[in-house]
This record gives sequence, structure tokens and C-alpha cells, in this order.
Amino acid sequence: MDERKPPLGLILLALPLLAFLLAPVLITIPISFSADPYLSFPPSGWSLRWYRAAFTGGAVLDVFATSVALGLVVTALSLLIALPAAMALVRLRWGWVSAIESFLTAPLLLPAIVLGLAILIVFAPLGLLATFPGLVAAHLVVTLPYALRILSTALAGAPLAAEEAAATLGASPLRVFWRVTLPAIRPGLAAAAALCFLVSFDEVVISLFLTGPRLSTLPVWMFHHVENEADPLVAAVSVLLIALTLVIVLVVDRTAGLSRTFVK
Amino acid sequence: MTATDAPGHLAIRGLTKRYGGFTAVDGLDLDVARGELLAFLGPSGCGKTTSLRMVAGLVPASGGRIVVGGRDLTDVPTHRRDMGLVFQSYALFPHLSVARNVAFGLEMRGIGRAEREARVREAIALVRLTGKEEHRPAQLSGGQQQRVALARALVIRPQILLLDEPLSNLDAKLRDEMRIEIREIQQRLGITAIFVTHDQVEALTMCDKVAVMNGGRLEQLGPPLDLYERPATPFVASFVGRINQFRARAAGGIVGLGEARITGAGPAEGPVEVMIRPHRIALRPASAPVEDAEGRLNTVAGTVARTTFAGDVLHYEVAVGDAMIGVEEATRSDAGPVAPGTPVRLSWRPDDTLLFAAVARDGRMRP
Ligand SMILES: Nc1ncnc2c1ncn2[C@@H]1O[C@H](COP(=O)(O)OP(=O)(O)OP(=O)(O)O)[C@@H](O)[C@H]1O
Ligand SMILES: [Mg+2]
Repeated sequence: MDERKPPLGLILLALPLLAFLLAPVLITIPISFSADPYLSFPPSGWSLRWYRAAFTGGAVLDVFATSVALGLVVTALSLLIALPAAMALVRLRWGWVSAIESFLTAPLLLPAIVLGLAILIVFAPLGLLATFPGLVAAHLVVTLPYALRILSTALAGAPLAAEEAAATLGASPLRVFWRVTLPAIRPGLAAAAALCFLVSFDEVVISLFLTGPRLSTLPVWMFHHVENEADPLVAAVSVLLIALTLVIVLVVDRTAGLSRTFVK
Repeated sequence: MTATDAPGHLAIRGLTKRYGGFTAVDGLDLDVARGELLAFLGPSGCGKTTSLRMVAGLVPASGGRIVVGGRDLTDVPTHRRDMGLVFQSYALFPHLSVARNVAFGLEMRGIGRAEREARVREAIALVRLTGKEEHRPAQLSGGQQQRVALARALVIRPQILLLDEPLSNLDAKLRDEMRIEIREIQQRLGITAIFVTHDQVEALTMCDKVAVMNGGRLEQLGPPLDLYERPATPFVASFVGRINQFRARAAGGIVGLGEARITGAGPAEGPVEVMIRPHRIALRPASAPVEDAEGRLNTVAGTVARTTFAGDVLHYEVAVGDAMIGVEEATRSDAGPVAPGTPVRLSWRPDDTLLFAAVARDGRMRP
């Protein structure tokens, strides 16, 4: 990682910007410690009651578990599908590769609301609405392009000559992949996994079309909760989410190097 | 070393590589005997690396066969060819230490830990990197990385060792040492090897045979001495060693050079390329007798145009008619350099005159 210190002027310019971006997020922190039964700022008293409510109220834990399970399954499938696809795109050098790549990344360009509606129309007759497999499939549509992009970049930077050297030393293609390619793209894999998980965990728009009373995700549950109750429970949950996100980002940074994986 | 088996331990037949309409390697035919070190010598871009990569199976050949020990390997994948390759770009594993890099091939062969460690230690000592075992490639200099690549290829004792300019990044002293080292290891282990280089000294000093390549084709294959003394083409003559080259006309086996008439081996009639190595020419005062005890019967008169002192040798450029002939003489303590403007007589043996049917237009001395 780069050890250079940014100039002071840049820091002075960046700080207000950062404050502007973070202020709405940061305001949830005091609210989450509110003692009031409704959303208000500043709170009239302080307590941990909303955190207690988050951990004891069954609904929050249920949708949290669903979201985590969904995030993990979606992440695993995204990597399993995107890695071979990226290998093919980067290594086979077909003439029409860039066309395939554009096609696979197209979902990123579509408005999520349109995508959600389209998925609803397709999934309804298949009986996939408000089912876990349905949510997995829908989230894959959004996470795959990210995974593909990051892994393609990582693979393009992998040392081809070292792979050839491994082959001359007697390594079969599979062992070349395990022993040389995989270590080289490990930061990319970590970044892709983190991003897929966060995107899936965060997804609201498409999930809104596919969830129901039987099955919901955490963001969708929060959305509905604010509509109906407007108590500081969502603020407490939000703070927990921010903490979780920070932990994931920190883990990626420690294991793979954040600037190395995201800032390419 | 065993006697040469026929066809060679490594036989290359009609090996060809085309990239679109461009032919990078054009019908390469050669044999390397068991335990022999063969050099691929040629200018940049002549297809040396491409040929080597086809032998290793890293690029598919457009045509031709590769046979090792009687077994056709043309369609065998790289990892089952048992060939060590030292890459021009080292191609070390960046995430592994020096020791793990060297151990890689042994691990792939399932060699036990004790033997593996012993062989790795030995190989690292061989390339003088003891003490650097735990370094990552990025922590080594270019020359050190090159030596790791060498150790990594040698440690598996491959049937064929392919070296793609393995010494290009070493300083002169280390390069000399490594040349001797590689040659010694290769002979001791009896490895059949191809050594790619564009350095003619390396090819001539290290190798049993040299294959001179040009524009994807094999120009000549032979022992270093043959290449130097009996080059098959003007290209080989000018690429291997320094040589004078100018155009003249032969009639009845006699070549006219200014006023003089000279003889040599080659075409008897028509336009010819005359090629003479600068150090095979004697430079004497114009007044010296024409007779020469050592049979230097080809004699021309000229005027010294330029004198360059280079320590061991003196370089002269001598104007003969409208041609300029380079002459090289060992410096002597009993005679100083001949000053420019001095009329001189140049003489050399007819055997040292190489004549080729003229093709290209070039009238100057080649370095
Ligand atoms: N993948 C490729 N696509 C198209 N042309 C190629 C490719 N690889 C090599 N060539 C061409 O083939 C020719 C031979 O290349 P090669 O690398 O074998 O040369 P070389 O003799 O090893 O040169 P050097 O001494 O510079 O290493 C060159 O003209 C090169 O441009
Ligand atoms: Mg090359």
C-alpha cells in the first residue's frame, strides 16, 4: 500500500465533503440510543432499549438470518459462476469476447426497478416469488456483473508466464490454477466476495418485488417497518449494519489490501 | 557422454509457426544429440523464443513434429513433456520464496520431503544464492531472479533443458562464471539442452553446435568452428564474428578488387560478395616485398584512412579503390600504430577469402 501522506490542502478539502456524505448516516447513531418510543432528533433521553428490542424481537433476527444466509449463498454462487466465466473471457481471447462481457455486465446499467419488475413477471409463473431460491436467482443477476468485472481484472493481471513455468515444471492445468493462478488473484477474490455479499445484503428494490409476509430480507423488513411504526428500532438496526459492513471491509483490508483490490 | 544416437535425442522436423499471414518460424529441421548443448543464435525477432516455446509445448505448432528419444511429443501437453525451461522473463512465482520456487517442480513430481530439501539446497548453492532461500522474487535483483529461474529448471533434472537467454541480465563477470557453471552442470548431468542467445560469443564458447537463425529460418547448423571458418551464407559470415564485406565481380575464378586480382573459394563467375575477417589481413608498408612466407597471396595496395587504438588491438580502415577494408592487428611493443595517410599493402591467404554469389547491396564493414 502507498505510504505517501496526502497534502494538507487535500485533507482540508476532503474533510467537509466526508462530513457531508456521512452526516445522515452518523445521525442514526445518537437516535439508536434514544429512549423515546418514536423517531426524533435530538432524543429526549438515552437508553439501550432499541438494541435490546432488536435482539429480542423475533422478526429482526429472522430477517437478519435470511439476509445473511442469502448473502452467503449468493456470494458463493457468484464466485463459482464468475470465476470460470472470467477465465474464459480473459484467457481464451475469442474475437467476440468483449460482446459477451458487455452482455454480462448489462444488468448494472438497467434501473433496478425495471429489473425487479421484469424478474417479478418471469418468476411469478415459475412459483419463485417469496422463495429463497427466487431471491438467490434475482440477487445473482445483480452480483454477477460485479464479480465478473473484478475477477476479470484480477485474472488479466495474473502472471501468465509463471503459469507457463508451472506447466513446464510438471503441473497439470488444474494444479497450475490452484498453485499459481489462485494465489495471484486472491485479493480479487476477496474483493469480489465482499462486494457480492454487501450488494446482496443491501439489496432493496428488486427484493421488494420478491418478498412477502413469509419471507423477507432485512432491508425490506426495515423499509416496511419505517412505513408502519417509525420507532428508533430501525436506527439501532442501522448502526448494527454499519458496524457489520465496517467489519467486512476491515477484514478484506487486512487479508487482501483494500486499495489493492478496489482501487485498481 | 554417449555416442550420438540417430536421429538425435531431440529431433525437430519441419517446425513452423504462423501468426496470421506472418511466418515466425519457417520449417525448422534439426537434431540435438543426447547430452549435447545446442545454441539458437540469431538477431532479435528471428523466432528463437517461438521455436523454444513450441518445443516446450507452450505454443501450438502450425506444422512439423517434435520427437524426443523416439517419442513424438507434438501433441503431448507441456506438463508431461519433462522439459525444463528458463524463461527470458524469469517467470518466477511471485508469492513463493526462493526455496519454494525451486522446490515447485519436485513437489509436482511427488518427491519426498527429505530428498526435496536436499536437492533444493544443492540447486540454490549451485547458482550461489545460499542465504536467500526465504526471500521473495521481488526482493531479488534481476540477475538473482535469473539464477532462481535457472535453479528451478535444473533441479528437476529434465530430459531436455531449454534456456531462453538465461544470462542476459547478469554482469560480465557473473555471466562468464555462470556460462562455465551451466556448461559444467549440463555436461555432468548429460542433459540435452538448447541455449537461446543473440550473443555470438556465448554461442561459440559454450555450445557443441550452433544453429544460426534468421527471419524464422535455419541458416546454418554446425560446430562453432565450422560456422566461423566455413559460413554457409553471407548472413552467417557477418553474424558470427566480425567481417569485411564488399561486392566485386568474379571471372574465371579471379576476383577484381581495384587494381588487384584476388582468389578465394566460391562462385567463379558473376557478381560476388567478398568477405574477409579483419584480423586475417596483414598490414605492411607499401614498400614491403610482395612475396609472403605464410602464403598470403592475395595482395592489394591502399592508404590508411583511420587508425583506432583499442588496447589489445589496433583497428585500421584502409581505402582500397572505392572500398574500405577493416584490418585488425594485435598491438606490439616494438611498433606503434600506422598513421592515417600512410600507403600500405594488405595481404591475406586465399583460403581466408569467402566468396558468395551476390545478393544484398552493402559495401561497408560489418561490426
Ligand atoms: N503472439 C504473437 N503474435 C504475433 N506475432 C508474434 C507473436 N509472438 C511472436 N511473434 C512474432 O514472431 C517473431 C519471432 O518472435 P520471437 O519472440 O520468437 O523472437 P526472438 O528470436 O526470441 O527475439 P528476441 O531475441 O528479441 O527475444 C517476432 O517477429 C514477433 O513479433
Ligand atoms: Mg526471445
